[in-house]
Amino acid sequence: MSLFFRQTTAIMKKDLRIEYRSKERLSGMVFFAALVLLIFSFALTPGSSAMVNGAGGIFWVTVVFAGFLGLTRSFTQEQHNDCLMGLLLAPADRGAIYLGKTLGNFITMVVLEIFLLPMFAILLNVAVLSPLPSLIPVMLLGTLGFASVGTLFSAMSMNTRLKEAMLPLLTLPVLVPLILASVQSFSALLSGNSLSTVSDWLRTSAAFCGIFFVACLILFDYVVEES
Amino acid sequence: MIRRFYTVFEDLALIGGPRLNLLSTAFGILALIGMLVTPWMALVGAGVEQQMGIVQKIMYYHVPSAFMMYLGFFVCFVFSILYLWKRNKQYDIWASSSAEVGLLFCVLVLLSGPLWAKPIWNAWWVWDPQLTLVFVLFLIFVAYAMLKSYSEESIQSAKFRAVLGIIGFLDAPLIHYSVKLWRTHHPAVVRGDSSGLPPDMETALLACTLTWLALFCTILFRRVSVEMARDELDYLKAEIRDRKAILGQMAT
Repeated sequence: MSLFFRQTTAIMKKDLRIEYRSKERLSGMVFFAALVLLIFSFALTPGSSAMVNGAGGIFWVTVVFAGFLGLTRSFTQEQHNDCLMGLLLAPADRGAIYLGKTLGNFITMVVLEIFLLPMFAILLNVAVLSPLPSLIPVMLLGTLGFASVGTLFSAMSMNTRLKEAMLPLLTLPVLVPLILASVQSFSALLSGNSLSTVSDWLRTSAAFCGIFFVACLILFDYVVEES
Repeated sequence: MIRRFYTVFEDLALIGGPRLNLLSTAFGILALIGMLVTPWMALVGAGVEQQMGIVQKIMYYHVPSAFMMYLGFFVCFVFSILYLWKRNKQYDIWASSSAEVGLLFCVLVLLSGPLWAKPIWNAWWVWDPQLTLVFVLFLIFVAYAMLKSYSEESIQSAKFRAVLGIIGFLDAPLIHYSVKLWRTHHPAVVRGDSSGLPPDMETALLACTLTWLALFCTILFRRVSVEMARDELDYLKAEIRDRKAILGQMAT
């Protein structure tokens, strides 16, 4: 295994280990997601056609906002005891730091989604079990794109005066194509269409992930370096 | 080819503040002349569109505004890359100024669009790719402006801006493509040689675009020269502070 990937996995494992031991990010995210779902089930009658049509949107709104909750912690936890400085001083490629952090965030969010889907099915009375195999690729692509842009911007927003409050303001407009594609394919899949009907949307998500994953990997270097 | 392309921008950034001011005034005069002439060309010279009637006249200002918006964001994109690459403060000044000017024209597009849409589409706003793209670009560059004003003036914040400028511009084709998949209403946008416009309208549109281009240069150059002057002022203030400190030490 090359050095770069060893460094990447080391950082990813570090983040996941912190998460596994403290469980503070994930518990906050899952709790927040449950609250959002609760509010949506007040707004729309569970099981109604409006609920089924809007289910894709509800799922992604929940994932995105709960995701922000986790992303903001991703770099603020490194500020204690100057951990970020330590990471930057380590003889590791900056790209490996970014990649490790992104993968850590990605996995945390996938775990969140694993908790979220059953809650989603039970609280909102939406059938997720039968379209589940086709939901998974959409979910993974959407989460990967979100994590890759979000990780870069969370490193940036940490250094502004607004801190965490800046993160959604920066990230959401950029995420528009991805969220649109994910919501549309989710809605189509939940109402019983097959995966091939949403291939255009999947392509959009994949293009988003490809472009921004590479762009963020390159740009991360400039964001964290000391001037 | 690419080298020749970016050296144009590098040369642009070499122009000093006083000369920029002069250029700005020159373009301002051109824009003023254009603004006196183009209303006649657009309102009288060009024919009235048969289906939309007089409402269509707004196109002569709406479309050039959109061009200038894209131009502003594109200039911001190029200077952002140059800034991250060469670390010259001038490039940051140019990038952030052109983003601001682009944002200004973006607001003009967003204001003039609904005026046309209400009588034609019978709605102030529809979620069409063109409209959505402009709206999302507006949000991205408002975030850019917020990023600028909510962080301390430092090299790091300049780098953040550059990163957002690059990402925002890269996002545009994706936003457009994704919303196009979603729905489409907008009349075909002028592309390539065949715009589908009759010659009299085309001439008027071209004249308006050139006028708006002159206006764009006027505002951008003035904005950049103001920023340069502010930068110099900061430098001089720091120098005075240093000298005072040295004098104070000598006195004691």
